[in-house]
Amino acid sequence: MYENLVEKYRAKSYSELIGQDKAIAEVQQFLKEFPKKKALILHGPAGTGKTSLAWAAAIENNSEVLELNASDLRNRAKLEQIVRPASIQKSLFKQSKIILMDEADGITGTDIGGIPELERIIEITRFPIIMTCNDVWQSKLAPLRSKSKLVEMKSLDTIKITEILRRIAEKENINRDINFFTKIAIKSQGDLRAAINDLQSYANEENLFVDTSEKRDVEENIFIILRKLFKERNDFLDLFDSTKMSLDEIFLWIEENIPNEYKNEALVKAYYALGKADVFRGRVYQNQSWRFLVYQNIFQSAGISYAKPSPTYGFTKYEAPKRVLKIWLHNQKTAKKKTIAKKYAKFVHCSVKRIMRDFDLLKPIMNNPEVQKQLNFSEDEIEFLKSQN
Amino acid sequence: MVHSEIWTEKYRPSKFEDLVGQQEIVRRTKSLVQALNIPHLLFAGPAGTGKSTLALIIVKELFGDSWKENYLELNASDERGIDVIRQKVKDFARTKAIKDVPFKVIFLDEADALTREAQQALRRTMENFTNTCRFILSCNYSSRILEPIQSRCVIFRFKLLEKKDISEIVRRVAKAEGLTISSDAYDAIYEASEGDCRRAINLLQATASVSLDINAEMINMIAASGKPIGIRVVLDYALAGDFINARNKLLDVMLKESISGNDVIKAIQKEIWNLPIEPDIKVKLTEKTGEVEFRMIEGSDEFVQLQSLLASFVLAGQGKVV
Repeated sequence: MYENLVEKYRAKSYSELIGQDKAIAEVQQFLKEFPKKKALILHGPAGTGKTSLAWAAAIENNSEVLELNASDLRNRAKLEQIVRPASIQKSLFKQSKIILMDEADGITGTDIGGIPELERIIEITRFPIIMTCNDVWQSKLAPLRSKSKLVEMKSLDTIKITEILRRIAEKENINRDINFFTKIAIKSQGDLRAAINDLQSYANEENLFVDTSEKRDVEENIFIILRKLFKERNDFLDLFDSTKMSLDEIFLWIEENIPNEYKNEALVKAYYALGKADVFRGRVYQNQSWRFLVYQNIFQSAGISYAKPSPTYGFTKYEAPKRVLKIWLHNQKTAKKKTIAKKYAKFVHCSVKRIMRDFDLLKPIMNNPEVQKQLNFSEDEIEFLKSQN
Repeated sequence: MVHSEIWTEKYRPSKFEDLVGQQEIVRRTKSLVQALNIPHLLFAGPAGTGKSTLALIIVKELFGDSWKENYLELNASDERGIDVIRQKVKDFARTKAIKDVPFKVIFLDEADALTREAQQALRRTMENFTNTCRFILSCNYSSRILEPIQSRCVIFRFKLLEKKDISEIVRRVAKAEGLTISSDAYDAIYEASEGDCRRAINLLQATASVSLDINAEMINMIAASGKPIGIRVVLDYALAGDFINARNKLLDVMLKESISGNDVIKAIQKEIWNLPIEPDIKVKLTEKTGEVEFRMIEGSDEFVQLQSLLASFVLAGQGKVV
């Protein structure tokens, strides 16, 4: 009978989870402190054990699990109907209950209202909610992010994966030398599930050549990319191929984090490279010369990496780009200011820009009721002017 | 005079005789208008020196009561693309003037903000419609107007108003509004206005909204509250090695004061020479600044380029040549 080794050897307790001690400790703490935080998001690349950790936590705490994953419809009605009651009612058979929302990033457009409903359930739930996802920094997950404890699961290194493969092989009577396991481990790029699947599929082939250059298309998360770029010294010409994020989006992440990582000469060099990347980006857009994308890419990768004299170590907390959001928020706020300035500018034969610049000085004049009447300011605009004082 | 409670409008002169300052320009334009025929005009000079006012007086003298139908005013700094020239300007220029003057007038304020392409388009339009339409262009620097356009215009150069001019204007307004103004307040207004008449009157009205009895202290207080955060704060953070704060302040300045990257770079270029650093480093920084300004014109991201410039100031703060 065919039996899937991934399921067969899925960890059933904390002790069986290899290389995730830090994440385990954080999950334990979360469950102990519940309901201080009501939800937890396990995030990290594929095959690092997110789902396994959630299940192991349930087993260790003698809890029932209510699991919904991407194969289930997760729109508002469905969540209301299934998850909401479950989040309030006691478990019938076990002491407690864990609600597992697997692959939370798989809540898509067709799951209309799914995320907002999940938010509301987090508010009222009496049981811990655990969610898993690959990229926790997607904008659609922002509302959940702010209500949840975030726990990152790191990719396993080759040595650990090799060791796990060797142990499974032993139990399954697969007799191969250590090189075989190492090759599979390298190919897996830290994805244990992929490694075990490969072990199973190649186990019975007599003469196997594992091509280590044939890699699964892994979606590297931006933090891993930034860590490599900022810590290591390397050409990194293909670094950005491993993410679906666009070059321009990555650009913003790099821009935001340069000063968190580099100081002094390295800071200047990194910004020099970024500035050049920007120049070429401009040329791409202005002349539609896509050829220049090559230069943008090199300055944005190798240019940033080689800005430092030697590799660095230690942990740096990377932040999501704030500039675009800041500009957007500001524009929301100044939209009214602008409509006021437009009316005023037209009347006084002056540019809107200049009025915007002198706005503070002109406020007392614009607050004159006669002036407001003459310029036809709306109620909203008058309110805005008042609130500015 | 326009009936309004906005003093810059209420007291905007509507006759040649009421204008203060720029006497030579007034005399010459007046004689052009009397002949009922004006060439294209280019008014160059700083803000608040009477360019728009003179343009308005000219059309009012030419067209009398029907001036509004024969006059189009556009501000190029708000609509700077080629589309404005192709549509608004052309549409207005191609129709005949009403009344006995054979042409209409288009006043293009801050024409130096027009893009190069827009200026090229303007040049052709000026030629093609010269029978039905005259242009009055205003700009801060005539050097930023294409040579062929300049050569089609009679150029008038406006100067900053002198202290006696500003004081005269303030005196007139104060008298009409029933304000008492101390003699040191005249000095304060002139200082804060920097020869810009619009700013002087706005300052006076803003202060008068607090008190009808005006002294220098009040003027200075109001002037300071309306004064934008300078770029110097940003540079000081960078020189002190606090790059992150420098960058945050820079974004604040640009957003809150609505200052474009282009204005920021000009302010930095001037401020470099007031910084407490060695002259050779100042030269190096100036070179970088010029490069950044060029890149902005070329279409680079203003904020990214300014950040890269700020990074150089961090090193300059440590006395290192960049």
